Amino acid sequence: MKKQLLIIPFIFFLFISLTFFYLLIIERNPSELPSNLLNKKIPKFETESLLKNERFISSKEFGKEKILVNFFATWCKPCRAEHDYIKRFSKEKGIRIIGINYKDNPKKTVEWLRVLGNPYSDIPIDKDGRIAIDWGVYGIPETFVINSNGIIKYRHIGPVTGKIYKKINLLIKDIE
Amino acid sequence: MVKKKIVIIISICLVHFFLNYAQAVEPDEILENSEQELRARDISKNIRCMVCQNQSIDESNAPLAKDLRILIREKIKEGKNNDEIYKFLTDRYGDFILLNPPFKLNTLVLWIFPFIFFGIGIFIIFFHNKKSRKN
Repeated sequence: MKKQLLIIPFIFFLFISLTFFYLLIIERNPSELPSNLLNKKIPKFETESLLKNERFISSKEFGKEKILVNFFATWCKPCRAEHDYIKRFSKEKGIRIIGINYKDNPKKTVEWLRVLGNPYSDIPIDKDGRIAIDWGVYGIPETFVINSNGIIKYRHIGPVTGKIYKKINLLIKDIE
Repeated sequence: MVKKKIVIIISICLVHFFLNYAQAVEPDEILENSEQELRARDISKNIRCMVCQNQSIDESNAPLAKDLRILIREKIKEGKNNDEIYKFLTDRYGDFILLNPPFKLNTLVLWIFPFIFFGIGIFIIFFHNKKSRKN
């Protein structure tokens, strides 16, 4: 009886080890967090636009077509690294790209886009970072995929890489 | 001359001691109403800095932490209560932003397991003692 009971801690230990081992080998980034806004409506905002003379009003822009929202700044190095992928998205059909300019200098941004090319259809300015807080953003670059009903379907934290580009591209075709 | 140097060094050390004591909160952030400021500090201590992840926004020098500290103080001035402020933050950043995980269905294991293990431990000790006494 006692010997049989002794096996229980071993089974338990094995179970814990396997769980940890599984979490170790699967591909995941523990510092990356799921968005709390996933499958929810986008947070409404209203601000100045860098490219246009009229104000940017989110309720007028979202909810008609699929939109990729990209938080970026000229001072952010990874934003420059992902810029080529954002440009590639702008050539894809069926999606519009809105770039939210996070705590940046408008003059520098215009120059940055002139040199690197502008993939954004509109650029709302987030001068004090409050829009980013409403979106639950904690480190730029961050990219959101919004469906044509104005609902957030995907969030990526950090620069878009080749792998993420493919993933988002498939998702865009998948969502309505 | 030497005395003067020592006095300077000691005063520099003292200044740094008090600077550390004030943590990351910058003087221009502090509210005039000390009761409100105390509330802001209490909330900040319980809010995770999403950038550094193992620090509270009260301790972190990250720009986002500063923005959130200011935001919390604004909300307090607007007359929002603590629950409303916590809800505002968890609506945007999820429960992860709280350093103290809430008691919910998906955190049940986290809260209950220590007690279960404690129970098992007591049972094993008791069981073992009984057996050895017999022997």
